[in-house]
Amino acid sequence: MIAFGLAAAGVAAHAGALARFTVDYGQLPLNGLAPSLSAVAFIIGIGLVATVGLGEARRVGIVLVPVVIMMEAVAVSLGIEPASELLDFQGAWFAFHVTLAFAGLGGLAVAFASGVLYLVQLHELNTKRMGRLFQFTPPLAALDRLGRAGLVAGFITFSLGLALGWLWTISFRQSFEQSDPKILWAIVCWFIFVVALGVRAGGGSKERRSALASVIGFSLIIVSYLGLRLLSSQGGFFL
Amino acid sequence: MSPVSIVGVSHLTAPVEIRERFAFASGEAEAALGALRTQSEVQEAVLLSTCNRTELYVCPAGSERVREAAERVLSEKAGEVVGGTSQYLYRHDGEASVRHLYRVAGGLESLVLGEAEIQGQVKDAYELAGGSPGTPRLAGPILHRLFQSALSVGGRIRSTTPIGKGAASVASVAVGLARKIFGGLEGKQVMILGAGATAELVVGALARDGIRGLVVSNRTYERAHVLASRLSGRAVRFDEMPFELAKTDILIASTAAPHPLVTRDGFRQARAGSSGGPILILDLAIPRDVEPEVSSEANVFLYNVDHLHEIMDDNLRKRRTSLPEAEAIVDEFARDFLQWYGVRGVVPVIRSLRGRWDEVRRGELEKLLKGLSHLSSDDRSLVETFSKQLVNKLLHDPTKRLRQGSDNGRGVEFIEAVRYLHDLDTVEPDPSEESVPVDEEGVETMEMDVPRANDE
Repeated sequence: MIAFGLAAAGVAAHAGALARFTVDYGQLPLNGLAPSLSAVAFIIGIGLVATVGLGEARRVGIVLVPVVIMMEAVAVSLGIEPASELLDFQGAWFAFHVTLAFAGLGGLAVAFASGVLYLVQLHELNTKRMGRLFQFTPPLAALDRLGRAGLVAGFITFSLGLALGWLWTISFRQSFEQSDPKILWAIVCWFIFVVALGVRAGGGSKERRSALASVIGFSLIIVSYLGLRLLSSQGGFFL
Repeated sequence: MSPVSIVGVSHLTAPVEIRERFAFASGEAEAALGALRTQSEVQEAVLLSTCNRTELYVCPAGSERVREAAERVLSEKAGEVVGGTSQYLYRHDGEASVRHLYRVAGGLESLVLGEAEIQGQVKDAYELAGGSPGTPRLAGPILHRLFQSALSVGGRIRSTTPIGKGAASVASVAVGLARKIFGGLEGKQVMILGAGATAELVVGALARDGIRGLVVSNRTYERAHVLASRLSGRAVRFDEMPFELAKTDILIASTAAPHPLVTRDGFRQARAGSSGGPILILDLAIPRDVEPEVSSEANVFLYNVDHLHEIMDDNLRKRRTSLPEAEAIVDEFARDFLQWYGVRGVVPVIRSLRGRWDEVRRGELEKLLKGLSHLSSDDRSLVETFSKQLVNKLLHDPTKRLRQGSDNGRGVEFIEAVRYLHDLDTVEPDPSEESVPVDEEGVETMEMDVPRANDE
């Protein structure tokens, strides 16, 4: 209950801060590296609070909390202000597009945390130990269920976000710039979802494959995001 | 002055074939307690009988006849034993008896250190002595207090130390592993290969977690059928085992076969038609029933006897590290109990002490006043008041120090000394004296003008 209280209080405080940002700058915190990182961290925080009712599986918080803190720390150190460059267009479509995409990443973050703990528990079981780590880590089945739920929910929301973005771009620009790093990144993310879900097909250790794919996929997304961000700083604009 | 005497036998003093002869079934325990009541000197008694110990707790302690009566009850239950039953019995008195019960309740005396079942068994024993409707109570104020505090000791030890943490039996390790693989065990299918006793224990533990179905397979179908009937399961012929294996979530193998019955190829074929979900295999057999290579198959968690024992040994090592902490709890509660018992014993001793010297005073006063018949009524009254004040003054310090001694846990020691020095009658605390009126400092309110600590 203490953990839930702390997590809920943290998310509530974060919501207040993001609302303040919206009021102060007249826009949602979805544009620019620092605001968008903070928004993703907020959505992951909501996911964290949502896992509280899941019995032992709520212990994914041990992985999610550091992820949230790290993202928020980077955002704060960069200064949470709107990006100097304005997007070509704003509005409700944009807000839905980005929020859905961020929610998808939140789902993948939950799958990532479940995957990390799944691999830890698998290691404990295979090394035939029943130490503190074994006792603390949730059951494999519970972690697999949570990871799958995170992946499925994340894939659906992320795909919807992409579809909205595509429709929006087509209707606004009448063209689709495929070399745009942000579009490239979005496609990479979407394929990562597809692979992470695809490895569940077939027999064998599909749960282990899925856990591995979620961990690697989420890490790849972070790395590719930072890489593309670095590239875009040479002249382009990215998120 | 000891609160309780214990006579008993346990896994530390007797092998199982002797212990089982001392074991009391529930009805027998009631009869034994009833028999003890016929011993006029036994005021209180509790009989604790588990598979690893049988102990009789009796009051008043220190009485040879009471202890003999307790030993007789146990010896009669055991019957004829080569060399006599006495060689297997242990006896505790005084502080050792209090500490012993606390250690028993805390699982510190158990065969498996820290096991929790003993807590319930101590409670049952106490409740049995509490008297069912129509039968008299055998647990009086001393054993009531002692057993209540023993249950608190057990609870405190288990909640504040890791002595009960980590599985320490094959059955509990199996349940722990199954829970960490499957989450809940509701709806899981279990198969026993063979008919070993350990496998039966494991199934019993798994059943408490709600497994769906149990299949028993054995080379001798009849044996499988007997075991399946006992465990409310289903027997299958040995050649049907591979088909069942496809649907199995937990396999417990414990046959006496001289070679592996589940080979890697056979397992792969059998599981080809399965959902591919995880399977927990507990190979309790020696030689092993399951080829070790099976563990390299996907989603297989294979544990043999050595793996399970390593886990148990590791957990027991961890449990042992919490022994000093648990012993400190036992010490704390034993001090508290003995202090309570000391205070409880002080009240009648003070009463006895004052009664004795008041009697002396009256006798001497009477003699004195016979020779002073010329005194007026007022003067006689003055002399009498003087005699009372003198006795009060003389007894003030001993009374105060007796009370302080009991507060400091030395009550029993001081009581013995006062009784000896003042030649007082041996007075055991009367159960009815629970409600003896005492002042705020624990001293009985006397008719006489009892001096208070701050009267000096």
